[in-house]
Parts: sequence; C-alpha cells; structure tokens
Amino acid sequence: MSISTPGGPERRPTVVSTGKKPAAGRPAAGAKATGAKAGPGKAGSAQRAGGGKGPRKPITPVKVSQGRSWGPIALFVAVGVLAASIIGFGAWATFKGSQSWEDKAADIAGIVNYRQDDPDSLTYESHQAGKIEYKYSPPVGGAHNNAWQRCLGDVYDAPIAAEHAVHSMEHGAVWLTYRPDLPAADVEKLASVIRGNDFMLMSPYEGLDAAVSLQAWGYQLKVDSADDPRIKEFVTTLAQNASIEPGVPCSSGNYTTGTGTEPRELAPPTGG
Amino acid sequence: MPSAIQEATPAERNGTELHRPSRALRYLTLVMAAVLLLGIGWTAATLVSDRAPGDDSAEAGFARDMSRHHAQAVEMAMIAYAKAQNPAIRQMGYDMALTQQAQIGHMQRWLQEWELLPTGSRPAMEWMPDAVPVGPDGLMPGMATREEITQLHEAQGVEVDRLFIKLMIDHHLGGVHMADGVLKVSDRPEVVRLAEASKQAQQKEINELRRMTPADG
Repeated sequence: MSISTPGGPERRPTVVSTGKKPAAGRPAAGAKATGAKAGPGKAGSAQRAGGGKGPRKPITPVKVSQGRSWGPIALFVAVGVLAASIIGFGAWATFKGSQSWEDKAADIAGIVNYRQDDPDSLTYESHQAGKIEYKYSPPVGGAHNNAWQRCLGDVYDAPIAAEHAVHSMEHGAVWLTYRPDLPAADVEKLASVIRGNDFMLMSPYEGLDAAVSLQAWGYQLKVDSADDPRIKEFVTTLAQNASIEPGVPCSSGNYTTGTGTEPRELAPPTGG
Repeated sequence: MPSAIQEATPAERNGTELHRPSRALRYLTLVMAAVLLLGIGWTAATLVSDRAPGDDSAEAGFARDMSRHHAQAVEMAMIAYAKAQNPAIRQMGYDMALTQQAQIGHMQRWLQEWELLPTGSRPAMEWMPDAVPVGPDGLMPGMATREEITQLHEAQGVEVDRLFIKLMIDHHLGGVHMADGVLKVSDRPEVVRLAEASKQAQQKEINELRRMTPADG
C-alpha cells in the first residue's frame, strides 16, 4: 500500500533521475531510443528499461512501506476539511444573506412596528390638503399633504409640518425628531447622523415624550439619549428600505421651516 | 528512487500482495487529489472573483455616494426644466433629471443584489483612492450648498439659467471626479459601465454648459 503513495507523486522525479542515468554511466543508445519518442512515453519506457538494471535498488521499498499511509490520510483529511469549510461557509453566507431589513429592524430593541400592530393607521385614500389629525405623536404614516418635506439629509432647526414629513416617510425617509430643550451638543450629535444622508431628515418636535423619537413609515423608536447606538441602527436599517413607493426621490418638496408646523401647499414652479 | 520506479509499476512485475492494494489506493488518491484541487480552485474563485462587493468596498461607496450626488443634480435639473429661459437649458434639465434618477435606481438595485443597506456606516467618500474628507456640511465635491440650492429655487428669469450653468458645471466636475475614483479601483462590469457612461455624458454636458449663455435660444 504504502509504496503506491510515494510511487504516485514521485513518478515525475523518477523521470528526472532516468534522464541522469544515461549521462552517468550507461549507453546513450537506450536513452536515445526512448528519448526519440514522444515526451510522455519516455517516462514509462525508461522505467521499464531501467527496471531490469539495478539490483541494489530493492532496498528502498522497505523504507517506503514504513512511511505508508500518511500521504492518503493527509489527502483525505484535507478533502474533508475543505468540504466541511465549503459547506460551513455556504450555510453561514446563506443565513447572513437571508436577514432582510425587516428582520434587522425587528432586532432593534424597543422598536414599534405599526405595520403589524396597527396597519389601519397607515391607510389613506388620497393626498389630503391642510391640517390632519394623527393618532400617534409624532405620526408614523397615514394621510398626508401633496408636498413632501425635502429629505436629502436635511437638518431643520425649527419644527416642520408633520403633514409634509409623513409624505417624506412614504418616500422612504427616516424622520428624526427631538425634544426642543435638548442641549445643543446633543442636537449636533443627532445632526451628524442625519446630515448629508439621503432619505433622512430631522427637526425639533414640541411636546415629545422622549428625548429623541425616530420614525419611518410604520415604524417608531423612542430613546432617552442622543448617544443611544440604536439611533444609527434605526436610520441605516430603515432609510429608503421603508419606502412604500420604491424609487421615488427625496429631492425638492418643501425645504424651509418658514410656516412651522402649519402645512403649506407648494406653488407649481413657473417657467419664464 | 529507482526502487520507487520498480514498485510503481507493479502490474509488469507480477507484483506481490503489496502491489495490488497500492494500485487501488493510488487511483483513489489521484481522485481525491483532483477533488482537492477542484475544491480549492472553486473556493478561491468564489471568494476572490465572484463575490459581491462588501459593505466597505469602493463599489458600495460609489453606489451610495453617487446616488446622493445625483439626487441633488435631479433637484437642480428639475428647477432648470421648469424655469430656465433658454429652451436648450430646459431640455438639458429634462435629460439630466430623468437620466440621473434612473441611474440612482440602477445603483440602489446593485446594493440590493449585494445584500447591502442603502446607507453605509462609513463617512462619505472614504472609499475614494485619493480620499478627500467630506466637510462638516456633508457635501461631496461639486455639490451645491443648501443656500445655493435655495437661491436656485427662488431665482427668476435669466438668473435661473445663469445659476444653473454655474452650479451644474461644478456639480458635474465633482461627478466626473468620483466616477474616475471608482474606475481606478473597480472592475465590476456593472459599476464600470455606469461610471464610464456617466463620466462621458457629464464631460460632454460640461462642454455644452460652458458654451451656453443664459439669454440665447
């Protein structure tokens, strides 16, 4: 058994040694004859020819038999390890990839999912002008004005109309609201999460029952500190993913805070 | 060595008991070796070439940042489409807005296919080969400030054309720079295709914008 292993891999080296032999002692005749033939055939014929020669050679087989099974064993182990790791990697990748944004959202501690808990609060018939009464504060979806609030990472330093922000959330925006009495340093921390990020906007919100409240369409998370790591988790998981109109933009719309929480209709842009 | 030769060809030697099992095992060993090589090759290929870009990759950074960069261009182009005096600028606004909004859709689709979130966890533009830190305003190169966008919204008459030409040339220069950045480091076909196309279109539009005057047409 053992012999075979060294024999297999070492065949090629033997070819090399065969080549040497003629140079060392024996006649060029044999070497030439075999050498003249095709390259691949050379090894086999050389071996056969040489087979009869050396009487001293039989010594080595003994050694070989000792080293025996290590080659195959190593190979089997390697194949086994490889197979296991491929299967393991595949399973891990599949599991990891299978985690949808909904799963990731569900993993955020304290998040409320109104899509499950109160889907009726999110339904509406059409765009609605003027003030709208919302069931939740801040609202998490439902009827809204025709105009959305621009949500290209806009940081509004004064309250905005929920009637516009809800429309932004329909487009996939996360609306971060904070209690107006929050220290400026905290507000800046929050702004650094929102600013410049598409599908996000933030504004102060009067009468908020938490330091910070995050809303996306049908989702809400209230936290007591601007340092809470769940803030970033919420915005990165839900921004754009929570859109119920995929592909719709956050650009344009209302971009001022001029009317406070009073909604305003946008005049259509006029050409020249 | 020579002995190995002799033992290696047992069939011819009317081999002893030793030789027969060695032959069967040798074939099995060869098969296993082949399996091992194939397995290693497949794994390497999967890991290296076929793998979707990761969360911190240049491709993901480009898809996210260029989406944001485009989003502002769409806002400006729509203002130009609605209000510019020069019909050629209005036409260009229409072209830019629809093209760039569609490209945003392409890039967002990549992120979905790569199983990545639309929002990254790293600062904007950090993936660029010659990374330029984005300022506290969060604006990437070429982007207009909030105030400039507001000016454009509120502008009337020829002022719309004038401002649009100025802001969009800068915006496109930034866009070309970003496309160059990803082209330096990526060979993902879908990314290269869009980056090349967007770069060429924007370079042409820069030339056109430079030739345009607010009043003509």
